[in-house]
This record gives sequence, C-alpha cells and structure tokens, in this order.
Amino acid sequence: MADLRRYFDDIELGEEYVSPGRTVTEADVVIFAGLSGDYNVLHTDAEFMKQSIFGERIAHGLLGLAIQAGLFTRATQAYATLAFVGLRWKFKGPIKIGDTIRLRAKVIGKKETSKPDRGLVTVQRTVLNQRDEVVQEGETDLMVELRPRP
Amino acid sequence: MRGSYFEEIVLGDVHETPGMTITSAHVAIYLGITRELAAEASAVPDLLPLCLTTGLSWRVAKPTPVVLAFMGFDWEVLRAVRVGDTIMARARFVTKRAMREAGVLVEEREVVDQRGEVVQRGRLTYLVAKRAKEASV
Repeated sequence: MADLRRYFDDIELGEEYVSPGRTVTEADVVIFAGLSGDYNVLHTDAEFMKQSIFGERIAHGLLGLAIQAGLFTRATQAYATLAFVGLRWKFKGPIKIGDTIRLRAKVIGKKETSKPDRGLVTVQRTVLNQRDEVVQEGETDLMVELRPRP
Repeated sequence: MRGSYFEEIVLGDVHETPGMTITSAHVAIYLGITRELAAEASAVPDLLPLCLTTGLSWRVAKPTPVVLAFMGFDWEVLRAVRVGDTIMARARFVTKRAMREAGVLVEEREVVDQRGEVVQRGRLTYLVAKRAKEASV
C-alpha cells in the first residue's frame, strides 16, 4: 500500500489547514465526565450553572482540546508522526453545549534534531466557535519522520 | 466536602492521587469522542492520561480548589503510555497571584506509571474563587 503520510521534508513552513466543524453536544460532555472522572459542577450541574458567569454548563476545556486533536486529523493528510512532544495551550472562552467548533492550524516551526531521521514540527492551532470567537489556542510540537533515504 | 477558596490554598504540599489502569475501553471511548486515529491497537492517545489525572485529582483526600476557569497549561510528553499501564498523578500548587475578583493558581503535575517513571508532566493555570465571591459564583 502506498505510504500517504507526509514526512518532515514534505511539510512546509506556513502551511495552513482548516478543519470541518464539530458540534459539541450534551452527550459529549456527559461521556467525557464519565471517562475522565471530572464531575466539576461547571460541566455537570445545570441548575448551579444558571447562576454562574457562564449562565449554563460548559464543556471541559480538555474535551475541547481532545476534539481539536481529532479535527486536526480531518483537516490535513496525516503526518509521519513519531511522537507528540508537548504543547502550550490557553483556554480563552467557554465552549457551551450546542456550540460548533472548528480548527485553524498553521505550521510555524520546523527544526532538525540531533537524530538524522526526524525533525520537530510546531503547529499553531486556533479553535473557533460558530461566531468566529477564539475559544482555545496554542502550539503543539510533533516529532515527525524524515523521508527514508533509499 | 466544600472546595477550598483561593485564600485557603496551601502551596508546596505534594498530593498523590489513586492509580488508574488504562484499558482498551478508555481508549475506545476517547477515540469515539475525538475521532483521533489510533496509531496502533495498544497505544494510548497522548492526551488521555492528562484527562484521566484531572478526574483522579478529585479523589485526593483534601479539599479541591473552587475553580472558576481552567486558563491554560504547558505540557510535556516524555514516554509513551500503553494499554494496561497504571498511572497516577503527583501534584503540588506552586504559585498564587491574587487579583481583584479571584486568584490565579499554578499547579505542577506529573503523571507517573507503575514503574515509577514520569511519563508526562506540566504546569496548569486556574482561576480560583475568593471566599467573598461564593454568593455570585
């Protein structure tokens, strides 16, 4: 089968991707609370949250982060990723139940490493809601394979 | 148990959570929500251990801060985690900065596996309620 993954050599500085949208549902929030064990009232108590600054339950910040990771895989052809190295992330605004988010991503860094078979790719990511408000943003570092030399 | 307000939070104490064995069910549910593609059958998605330690932190026998918002975090992935590994978190609050309406709190967290190796670590920043804010939160 042809290898369709994109290697470090194929990825260009400044490349941009936009993902499809994804509506965050009440089911997503309930499943994520059950999976993570994070039952903070912010995400689970509708009555309490009516009195909060948000006015209603909000999605877990990490749920938004996890969903954008999935949206990235739908925004571009897969990288030949060896490892996810780390990230720097900011939660800028709430994701409410029923909001539709999408990801805008841009390659802002490419660095060779001490190992000849891999390089570090830094992707800047912006998560937007249906009103084009930035709800999350940050940078992720991925270790990506170089194209194998024959 | 009520949570701790900003004024009550003590810096420096290390808190260890119970452990959690990561199963293929955790991975399947996580991939179902996110639609990330699984690299291989026994690999655990990189962000899943972090998500699980957030829930584990609620199971430590101490009051949890009254978090108004999770503001952001820096995170490093040091080692791959596999299905069947048991993780726990070791965390401490390292800095506090009071603001007019609330306070900013920084936590250092390590995710440790059953061999005692740190697999992920980072610094997480929260907005925490002050005591007087209780009525309006």
